Amino acid sequence: MSTVTAERPTVRTAESGGAGWQGSSVFTQVMVFAGRSLRALREPRLLIMSLIQPFVMLVLFSQVFRGIANGPGFPAGANYIDYLMPAILVTTSTQSAMGAGAGLANDLRNGVLGRFRAMPVRLVSVLVGRSLYDLVRNTLQLGILLVAAAALFGFAPAGGVVGTLCALALALFVGWGVSWVLIALASWLRNVEVMQMVGFIAMFPLMFASSAFVPVGGMPEWLQAVARVNPLTYAVDASRGLAFGSATASSVVGALVTSAALALVGGALAARGIRRP
Amino acid sequence: MTDLMIEADDVGKKFGEVAALTGVDLGVPRGTVLGLLGHNGAGKTTLVNILSTVLPPSDGTARVAGHDVVREGHEVRRRIGLTGQFASVDEQLTGEENLVMIARLLGADRRQARQRSGELLEAFDLTAAAKRKASTYSGGMRRRLDLASSLIGHPEVVFLDEPTTGLDPASRVALWEIVEGLVGDGTTVLLTTQYLEEADRLADQITVLSAGRVVAAGTAAQLKADVGQRTVTVVLEEPADASPALRALREAGLAPMHDAERHALTTPVESSRQLAVVVRALDDVNVDFVELNLHEPTLDDVYLTLTGRQAA
Repeated sequence: MSTVTAERPTVRTAESGGAGWQGSSVFTQVMVFAGRSLRALREPRLLIMSLIQPFVMLVLFSQVFRGIANGPGFPAGANYIDYLMPAILVTTSTQSAMGAGAGLANDLRNGVLGRFRAMPVRLVSVLVGRSLYDLVRNTLQLGILLVAAAALFGFAPAGGVVGTLCALALALFVGWGVSWVLIALASWLRNVEVMQMVGFIAMFPLMFASSAFVPVGGMPEWLQAVARVNPLTYAVDASRGLAFGSATASSVVGALVTSAALALVGGALAARGIRRP
Repeated sequence: MTDLMIEADDVGKKFGEVAALTGVDLGVPRGTVLGLLGHNGAGKTTLVNILSTVLPPSDGTARVAGHDVVREGHEVRRRIGLTGQFASVDEQLTGEENLVMIARLLGADRRQARQRSGELLEAFDLTAAAKRKASTYSGGMRRRLDLASSLIGHPEVVFLDEPTTGLDPASRVALWEIVEGLVGDGTTVLLTTQYLEEADRLADQITVLSAGRVVAAGTAAQLKADVGQRTVTVVLEEPADASPALRALREAGLAPMHDAERHALTTPVESSRQLAVVVRALDDVNVDFVELNLHEPTLDDVYLTLTGRQAA
């Protein structure tokens, strides 16, 4: 039970001439908001939970689909794990982006945003802070997955460490771009359940009707058509190219430009959405 | 410089076709408390949201701390504190982190933010819980943390939207004392409430809202005098005296009612001087009584009369 003070608390306000605080810069605001979200990582439970699914996929696919390495359309001389891992980076990153929407919707439901509305704060910094947090979390997540893949499954692509880091950076950027679409949706819809559904429904076809796990050439014709228009295919191909050290400039630039465009459009829509009371 | 810290001029708000507020005028002098009284749906929260720049008005203008809430929203936001109806604390953060976050957003550096947070945690009796997550706080603690968050930047105007709803009586009294302390320091407070007792105790001026319109405004005493009825209650010593006493009071020009269970007669009076009329009338017929009371109208009477009048 809480105790109640009998004496009148001294909380000097107006008369003391105020604190003289002149308001914070947008940079400070973004950092404060990112820091606020990052405190969630104090409980590693969250990070571990979000690692379970990609880890299970890594184990299952690396064992189940091994034989594909001998199948049609597979790069000659490569192990399946080398083929799989760059794709896991992209799909995990994209999946985190889907989670960003639900996370933001939850933030918006939390009453604390109501307080920010009546404060001298740019609401868009709430969004940028959130996105920054997602980026940090995602980097941790993908880093752990990469180490696990190298240590446990012998992931060692032809592109070496540099190629792998480039693939990681690309996957992070793609995830960041996609996250802004989800952030925009969340700032308009503001419903956690809907955002979770959107993430879930969008993710599966994107992930499986793509070049992530099997070469597109081995798919039925209709699925090939889907996979060829699936942007994730291009992101996966670019990431894989970087890891293999055989990336074409156009595939990498294509993935980067598309992600940047998503971030730009998503960001603009989100900034409008969040201002609605 | 004007000394009105909150001014509303013909403020209206429509949500689609529904008028939530119509023609609201307010003027709250510096260092005073305005009690905004009304039941659910009367428009209290909408008005608070407009004055705190969260919602734009559909009609009219409003100024808070000398700045227009629409054109100079940023300036207004720098000078106000808002405690909404639902405690808006970040449950994932500790009490201290909540306060430090708000202070940092207001422009304090880390050291200032920690220092000011410490002061407020102390003042609101939360020091022991400072390092605990807000999700573990009781309702009263959350309210106090919420209020501390809105005071951290030394606001000139504080909006409290039903600050004591759902609090236990002890926490409610503690919050009242905090508000009294604020006003003593020169802060201007707008407080919405459904509790007449609260408005009666805290507010210098009371504005009664009903269906989005101001139906009465004034001090508690003025409102009571305006619409309230004073009554005199006499508790008789002998129940059998009831009928001669009733007759005597009627002949004296009063309109008594008989409460047989309590052996009491109650009659509305126009002024306290009519007490003498009651006593004289009873003396004339030799009726003894054990109790004689003059009741001031309560704000409840005022409120029910006003809102009833509006509905009629």
